[in-house]
Amino acid sequence: MHIENYTDATQNCRFCFMCRHLSGIGNVTFTEADTPRVRASMIYGITLHPEKLSEPDFIDTIYRSDLSAACRFHCVSHFDENGLNLAARADIVEAGLAPEYVKVIAEELKQSAKWSSSGQGNVLYFEDRYTSEAKTVSAAFRKIMKKAQIPYMTIQGGCIGKALAVLGFGKDAKEVTQAFAAAVNATGAKTLVVSNPAAYDALTSDFPTFGAKLNAKVQHTSEYLASLKLKVTQKAPAVYYLESDFLKNYDGNLPGPRALLKAMGAKVLPFGTNNEESYTCAEGAVVLPKIDATLVEKLAHYVAARADHPDEDVIAVASPYTKIQLEKYTKLQVKTLEELFAAAL
Amino acid sequence: MLVSKTSYMYEMIRTELTDILGAEFVRTGEADKFGHSVDYYWVPEMWHDRGMETPKPDFIVHPGSTEEVAKVVKLANHYKIPVVPWGGGSGSQGGALPIYGGIIVDMKRMNHFIKLDKESLTVTCQTGIIARHLEWQCNKEGYSTMHLPASIACATIGGFLAHRGTGVLSTKYGKIEDMVMSLEVVTGTGEIIRTLPVPRHASGPDLTMLFLGSEGTFGIITEVTLKLQPQPESRQFRAYIFKDFHTAMSAGAELMRSRLQPCAVRLYDEEETIHHVRKVFGMELDQGAYLVFGFDGRTEIVDLQMKYAREIMEKKYKGKDLGSKGGELWWENKYKFFYPPFMFHIPQAFGTLDTVATFSNIENVYWAMKKVVNENFPAARFIGHFSHWYEWGCMLYARFIFEEKDVPKDPREAVALYNRVWDMAIRAAIANGGVINEHHGVGLKLGHFMKELYGPAMPVLEGIKQQLDPNNIMNPGKLGFKGL
Ligand SMILES: Cc1cc2nc3c(=O)[nH]c(=O)nc-3n(C[C@H](O)[C@H](O)[C@H](O)COP(=O)(O)OP(=O)(O)OC[C@H]3O[C@@H](n4cnc5c(N)ncnc54)[C@H](O)[C@@H]3O)c2cc1C
Ligand code: SF4
Repeated sequence: MHIENYTDATQNCRFCFMCRHLSGIGNVTFTEADTPRVRASMIYGITLHPEKLSEPDFIDTIYRSDLSAACRFHCVSHFDENGLNLAARADIVEAGLAPEYVKVIAEELKQSAKWSSSGQGNVLYFEDRYTSEAKTVSAAFRKIMKKAQIPYMTIQGGCIGKALAVLGFGKDAKEVTQAFAAAVNATGAKTLVVSNPAAYDALTSDFPTFGAKLNAKVQHTSEYLASLKLKVTQKAPAVYYLESDFLKNYDGNLPGPRALLKAMGAKVLPFGTNNEESYTCAEGAVVLPKIDATLVEKLAHYVAARADHPDEDVIAVASPYTKIQLEKYTKLQVKTLEELFAAAL
Repeated sequence: MLVSKTSYMYEMIRTELTDILGAEFVRTGEADKFGHSVDYYWVPEMWHDRGMETPKPDFIVHPGSTEEVAKVVKLANHYKIPVVPWGGGSGSQGGALPIYGGIIVDMKRMNHFIKLDKESLTVTCQTGIIARHLEWQCNKEGYSTMHLPASIACATIGGFLAHRGTGVLSTKYGKIEDMVMSLEVVTGTGEIIRTLPVPRHASGPDLTMLFLGSEGTFGIITEVTLKLQPQPESRQFRAYIFKDFHTAMSAGAELMRSRLQPCAVRLYDEEETIHHVRKVFGMELDQGAYLVFGFDGRTEIVDLQMKYAREIMEKKYKGKDLGSKGGELWWENKYKFFYPPFMFHIPQAFGTLDTVATFSNIENVYWAMKKVVNENFPAARFIGHFSHWYEWGCMLYARFIFEEKDVPKDPREAVALYNRVWDMAIRAAIANGGVINEHHGVGLKLGHFMKELYGPAMPVLEGIKQQLDPNNIMNPGKLGFKGL
């Protein structure tokens, strides 16, 4: 079983209460089950009684997790309860126990795994589905590239494996990553730039794991844009920056977003009461809106309730996903880094 | 009555609960039930570890208001179903376990920060708020509750009130009971009452104190007003190594008698200094007992307090100065002791023999407990530190630890061994003037000592329980009160 690769987390997290305050989903459902301790305990129970893997309430709990990895980042030993959850999902799927609602999403994701590219240049910009949905993000990127007079290509399309992997469909995810790598390599691009942190994490972490070899160097838009060293004509406004789960908790606190904010002269104000909780509306879970949109709505309200001046504050995010959710459920003014930078040029 | 799931009464009660709270907040799923069947008490953790079924609640409810809590308690009275309040489940005494099934009232949805009064320096909140979240909000405004326990991340304010909890700065700012202004409580009959708004008065006995430490057996605490403190301009720590635990204890006691008002004092015995402090700090320490203390407030005053404290440590007791770095290390790592792998956990068997006594008695308590554990259970290790210090004495945070090979495989045998250690150690403490306990509470684990501890005063407590909870539905079988 995949969970056996995470014995450290099972053995340690099941007795540990130390990161429960960071359990994003637990903080809106209020249930004990939605905490690292209880999830790890239940998974331990499965190692003793494998038949418990098919318990529907257990399966729902595992699929409800927000996967922010805030716990792993916080933990003094960085035990990977997040990875344990993902492993449990993979076991559920491989045992043929994936619930119908998960199978439907996975099927749709597999169908979506097609991409088309256009344009010319050494830089390839990947517009995944969330980036396309948040239309202003790619528009801002285009504006910046035009201003910088850099020719570039775009590749657009659906799942590149992340969402499938997160749902536990590892084999399908692997195939999709290889297909996407081939599509990217066929463009001859030297640099692949992505706005969506989930895609960035997929390309930099999952692709090597799945053996999908990319010829291009992968950069998050924030890293890429900061590296252009463009001069801004007006300073960006003071912003509250909401960290991305992927860029902070998964990818070693990528410096790109803060570097770009600095480059545009934005004053970064502290959001809410702390810099430990995830305020991404479950970015790490990638497709939670399809699993249970009411949970995402609750997470969005949780964020809005922590804004200093919800009607006035400018909230900066690195994630088109987070922008979409916050704009859908709250009145917060949310701008991605690309939008802020484009406006400052 | 204990409801059987196969009975249609179960469905009737579920319908009534749903009517009060809405379907979303009445949970009966297996994952939720499991989550509420294991707290931080070693026994249920071990029980589950060995693949045994843990006692589950019938319903878990998440009330959103005091009125909803009151309705649930009234309903439970009507059907005579046990009601067990649940905060974060981080209690180590089994206090929140649904040993007779019934309704778990999980308070975490009642997490509102109600008011911060900058004039009186108080904060009012619902009691289901996680202590860390409350503290963060107060910090944002420039204040602190100064309630900084190691379980700040997981325990609710209600849990601390129910257990008379304490934090690392207790020596200056007190335990939670010293921080409370007033409470709102739903009693065991479902009445909503408020205690007087100020803690100092001469209007009869103090009802606030009556509910603090009642561990959900008298009712459910739904709202609290706590004192607030401004963040200090300066907080400084210093640490020393003393040649032995006795010398360190004498130095610590003198520091307290000097009335210099440290914010924290902590002393680790030789064994704990070698095995734990070193490991957590990742640094070499000389053989001996590690003592750390700190002061906070206006910088000039703190400097002066530190100067006099150093005189006590260095001139009179010849402590080896580890400097401010040796002290700051403790402050920075104060919670690290509780993260794996630094914390003990199953398959080890371990327990915190929390005891408090005066300075005249505390060393005797320590040695008596150590002797009883060492002589009767040679396989066990006994370590201790002294965490919470008062003008008159301090708290002994003693621990016994058995390694896996020394813990019986049969879970019932394991519980029997565990209980024997507790019983002997606690009796040794009581015989030497110790009180069980200082901040972990009584719960299920220590209930059977309550009669011994209270003697003829126990019926007074039982009378209060009878008055507030005539149907004995509130957390039955805990705190030494009768079960079902
Ligand atoms: C890692 C770790 C470190 C710890 N460190 C400390 C420490 O430094 N200081 C300390 O004091 N304790 C400490 N504890 C113990 C524990 O955190 C405390 O006992 C705490 O008070 C429990 O709070 P809780 O919300 O988790 O309560 P629970 O465990 O859920 O419940 C404890 C008891 O309180 C009752 N209760 C809960 N809420 C209410 C309410 N609103 N009204 C009435 N009754 C209620 C329950 O019925 C039960 O009897 C630690 C525990 C852990 C796991
Ligand atoms: S991730 Fe670390 S802090 Fe969180 S439950 Fe696991 S061991 Fe504890």
